[in-house]
Amino acid sequence: MTTLTFPLSRIEGHARVEIEVQNGKVISTRFKATEMRGFDIFVQGVPAEQMPVIVPRICGVCSTAHHVASVKALEDAYGVTPPPLASKIRSLLLLGQLLQNQATSLFIFTMPDRVGVNSLFEMDTVPEDKAITFEIAQRALKIRELGTDLITLAGGQFIHPVRAVVGGVNAGIPAEQAERMAARLEQVLPMACDLFDAYWELTIRMKDRIGSWGDDQPAYYITSTGKVKPDFNSHEIRVMNPAGECCEIFSPSSFREVLEFEESEYSYAGKTSYKGGVIRANSLARANLTAHMGTKVANGYLHRLRIEFGTPAHPIMLFELARGIELVYAIERAAQLLEQPLDKEDTDVPYTPRDGEGYGLVEAPRGPLIHHYAIEKGKIAKAEFIIPTVHNMLSIERALKVAAERYIQGDTVNMELERAVGRVVRAFDPCIACATH
Amino acid sequence: MAEKINNQEENTVPRFAVLQLSGCAGCEVSLLNAHEWTEQFKLTYMPLVSSAYAVPEVDILLISGGVRTDEDTYHLKNAVKNAKKVVAVGTCAISGGVANLGNRDEVRQLFLSRQDRLEVPRMLPRSRPVDDLVSIDLYLPGCPPTPELFMAALTNPAGYPASMIVCQECGRKKLKEPKPDHFLGFQKGKVDPEICLINQGYACIGTSTRGGCRAPCTRAGHPCVGCRGPSNALIEKDSQAWLEAIQKVFHGMTNIADEELKEALLSPQLALFLFQFSDYAGGNKPPRPKEKVL
Repeated sequence: MTTLTFPLSRIEGHARVEIEVQNGKVISTRFKATEMRGFDIFVQGVPAEQMPVIVPRICGVCSTAHHVASVKALEDAYGVTPPPLASKIRSLLLLGQLLQNQATSLFIFTMPDRVGVNSLFEMDTVPEDKAITFEIAQRALKIRELGTDLITLAGGQFIHPVRAVVGGVNAGIPAEQAERMAARLEQVLPMACDLFDAYWELTIRMKDRIGSWGDDQPAYYITSTGKVKPDFNSHEIRVMNPAGECCEIFSPSSFREVLEFEESEYSYAGKTSYKGGVIRANSLARANLTAHMGTKVANGYLHRLRIEFGTPAHPIMLFELARGIELVYAIERAAQLLEQPLDKEDTDVPYTPRDGEGYGLVEAPRGPLIHHYAIEKGKIAKAEFIIPTVHNMLSIERALKVAAERYIQGDTVNMELERAVGRVVRAFDPCIACATH
Repeated sequence: MAEKINNQEENTVPRFAVLQLSGCAGCEVSLLNAHEWTEQFKLTYMPLVSSAYAVPEVDILLISGGVRTDEDTYHLKNAVKNAKKVVAVGTCAISGGVANLGNRDEVRQLFLSRQDRLEVPRMLPRSRPVDDLVSIDLYLPGCPPTPELFMAALTNPAGYPASMIVCQECGRKKLKEPKPDHFLGFQKGKVDPEICLINQGYACIGTSTRGGCRAPCTRAGHPCVGCRGPSNALIEKDSQAWLEAIQKVFHGMTNIADEELKEALLSPQLALFLFQFSDYAGGNKPPRPKEKVL
């Protein structure tokens, strides 16, 4: 038997893929997360009120989602409901996160696969289309930065936000700052659309070259976004079966009853399944489980996706196109929110800390994220982080198997496999720092 | 990336690499926000953004994250061989960061029980700062360092205009009154936008934390947790001196009783502060010289 090992790059964190082959037959495909810091263990004994500042450090890419989930978990434990303005500002924070993440995933992680370079920073080495690709890289970085600036505006710090507090947020957003940001977002929108159009076109070219949109079987889909339109500051989780029917709606506190969790013997990241079936979270799950985008331009793109691929859509490269739709949505929606007054109403409500259990849910860019804390004497007695990448673990491994079987035949391994492994994994945009925490 | 680079002699463009050990990638995300470097440097290795699998010869090597596994150790020792200048970036690389909370005896055993898996990198008994293993030319503390600090580290660390302490960059007014009687903790009560957080009863340690970050947290109404480490006045002294300096500030500006103050500073009440900097606070190595810290 032979084991092929593929180190991974252009994903968040440390992981590799191992494929076992015997007599030309693929025996297994393993996704191996190779790091762990142990947040669930080392936060034990930490004062509960510090969690919203500690947990963003689980991941510098997904920090905002952890920050807000943590505050919501404490609010659940203390029995507090934040005022509407605070929810709006938290939604803005999560949109900043979405914008930054989808720009990173689309342009820094996966655009190079479409152009055939090692990184976005080598785009100018492509002999043909040189001017175009150089332009793409510059614009991509600009859009990404805007996401960070939106997080800074709504969250205080630029990577590990501090502004969401138990009971609300610690400040509103002054009108002039909101106007300035809204203007920048509106200015960037056409540029983002151009880039996404170019990305879509390059994706079709890549599909033509490899002869597939990512041919894996249908799966269950899981998300906590809104049913009619997107909502990242979410409250309940929905599951869609492979035929496209919503088959389960549950609150974050019942995740153990609905989902099956399995520790891995070969990876620091576990795996989740639903009634023994493979699940997918992330952008495609949201595209399949939300009726509309709720904003004009993003809706147009979603319409195009549905005409071309139907509902629910399954090919894995559509994760990336759905991510582009959300990039456009995040810009449009954030601009809408910033046009409303964000410094006139109450930012927070008073609260009294108490012991007990709390669950906090948000829809992170990678899917539904749950923080669960048990608090005793004001300190964390137990913490669980239910990470969307873990929901995707089985689906990543299954899609890798499809790719491996495509490129390993008889006595030969087509070295396209190396690129295919990267492409498959990046389509799911896993976050290893989060998955292993 | 810039066109300029192609027009220049390849070898005149400084090359740099980014080695990420066990961390959160927040430092890398911040570096990506400092994208002016794309016009002045060639990035040759950074797995987060580039499919390159070994550190080539570089002028500058940035290292983020703590040393948590045997694989971290291996990558770290190999990478520095090819670098002219080595920069430790972020709180994890410099003093363990928030993951240092895992070094507490009461959770350490639990922690090590997790590594019972097939062929994954082995956990070290403790998370270690990078200068436990290799020699460092420049320290760039912060969780994460701002894009501005990254640019300074790459281009002109000695010329970076930083204030001594976070307070000088914060802009909140320090008043004689009110003097709070008790700590509010981290996140309780309404934050006045103009007045010093200590006046309001928050356990802010910006008074002795290294400046240069431009105080984004305190300006946003969150107390400084000291992620940039001690200021130059304290960095070469032992941790006790640092704690005493903080206590002195609270004695002067508040009526908080000694006992409450001590508990706040020495117990997990300030867990972030205490454990992020536990290496400064009582490690067995000599303090880092201030001229090496940006």
